[in-house]
Amino acid sequence: MPAESCALPWGERERQRGPRATPGRSAGSDGSRQGHMAGESLSRIDDTVLVREAQRGDRAAFEDLVRRYDQAVLRLALRLTGSEHEAQDIYQEAFLKAYRNVGSFRFECSFYTWIYRIVTNLCLDHLRRKKVRKEEAGVVTNADGEEFSVIDHAADERSGANPERDLLRRELGSQIGKALDLLTPRERIVFELKHYHGLKLRTVGEMLNTTEETAKNTLFRATQKLRGTLAELR
Amino acid sequence: MKCEWVRQNIVLHVYDELADDARYELDQHVARCSDCAAELQAAQEFRTTMATVKVTEPSPNLLTSSRMRLQEALETTQQGGFWNRLTFDPGVWFRQVRFSPALAAILVLAGFGGGIGATYRAMSGAQPGVDRVDRTVVPPEESNITGIRSITPVAGSNQVNIKYDTVSTRETAGSLNDAHIQQLLLFAAQNNVNSGVRVDSVDLLKQRLNDSRVREALVYTLRYDNNPGVRSKALDGLGSYVRDDVRVRDAVLETLVSDANPGLRTEALRVLEPVRADASVRTVLERLAVKDQNQFIRRHSRELLAQLPQID
Repeated sequence: MPAESCALPWGERERQRGPRATPGRSAGSDGSRQGHMAGESLSRIDDTVLVREAQRGDRAAFEDLVRRYDQAVLRLALRLTGSEHEAQDIYQEAFLKAYRNVGSFRFECSFYTWIYRIVTNLCLDHLRRKKVRKEEAGVVTNADGEEFSVIDHAADERSGANPERDLLRRELGSQIGKALDLLTPRERIVFELKHYHGLKLRTVGEMLNTTEETAKNTLFRATQKLRGTLAELR
Repeated sequence: MKCEWVRQNIVLHVYDELADDARYELDQHVARCSDCAAELQAAQEFRTTMATVKVTEPSPNLLTSSRMRLQEALETTQQGGFWNRLTFDPGVWFRQVRFSPALAAILVLAGFGGGIGATYRAMSGAQPGVDRVDRTVVPPEESNITGIRSITPVAGSNQVNIKYDTVSTRETAGSLNDAHIQQLLLFAAQNNVNSGVRVDSVDLLKQRLNDSRVREALVYTLRYDNNPGVRSKALDGLGSYVRDDVRVRDAVLETLVSDANPGLRTEALRVLEPVRADASVRTVLERLAVKDQNQFIRRHSRELLAQLPQID
């Protein structure tokens, strides 16, 4: 690997190597199913090449892998932690862990599944710690004595200049945030990966080291709980 | 069909996770059961409600700063070495042992070896009045000697120390359904230094491809074995699963794209013919038809593509 290649900013190297698909887009994104499948298959083959290069110590290849998945990783971490700072920590820890251990990656699953498995495990740990902290120290509240969540305060660009609609959306967002907080960490992760990231439950099962059937049951429980909680809150 | 089953599966229907036949049955039931129809509508409304909270994309600033921070950390981070790979995560390591047939076979063989060694020592240690120097040498059968490591005469005597290697070859026989036989075959397919043995084992394992462990082993062989003959056997066996198993299809596609042996690439192309309409295969064919250095691959890819209906 030439030294100047390492010295290039990632964006520059990306332009030189050409554009790559960003995986893990949420469900309902545009594009034909066939095109998506073909993209996935080619992506898997390309990943294999990059992982092998990274295993031989090529850091630029690893950085290419990072570029392919880091936006999806950051998006997931941001959703689950609700904090940019914590999401950044998880992002950092996940990719450093992957870098240190890429040599032991045995192609038993795709790299995409592997990196997501690392991230979901870190997020699970985070959610468990957060739950314990909440139980020990009480719910974190804002200045008005209300629970604070990023979801509650996420700006919705679609509402534009309509304050009434904006308020309703915020209220609904707040209810959804509270309902999501009541899920167990595992239910939360399964629901997030399925609903907001559009992953197949088979893949979710692989990421969580469990079966597709267990992932289905967890999704069922999560949706039942959410529906129940939302009905109570309304 | 019972309403209970429908209610348990409605969420899978809403999230597009039901198999086609189950989806059809559920739709049929919902069409004639008003309670279940209401439940389906409620589930769909729930999904719509949850979708009002959109996934926020990380801001470009956050992404950039995360990348810069990671890049700095990578400058000072070393990739794990061999021992790190073994000790990084004991949980993962044990899972690998549990699920890896090859490692399981090594453990079985090591267990046999250790047991034999321990028994031998116990037996020889039980002989009274025998020490190392004066030990009565039981001559090993010549066929068991694999080599002489060293010969050291003992000064001032007619004694000599000879260090030699022996091998104790064992033979076992059994059905292909026997788990022990399968372990040995899997071990041979992935670890044996003799490519002829690997060819034989892969040839036999081809009969057990309904076992996903065997398919996994053959996919591994197809990807990593350094002998084209062994890879060819694996490819031959996996061909029948190219339609049903996406990992097999990916491995064959990888062979088609990057195997060093032109004959194997041609064979991979033939194996993929039944699934040439698959989008992933089609995309690879389109690429090869234009860019591949091998004239035959280019031409044949074009021919296969010409047989396919055009996609709008």
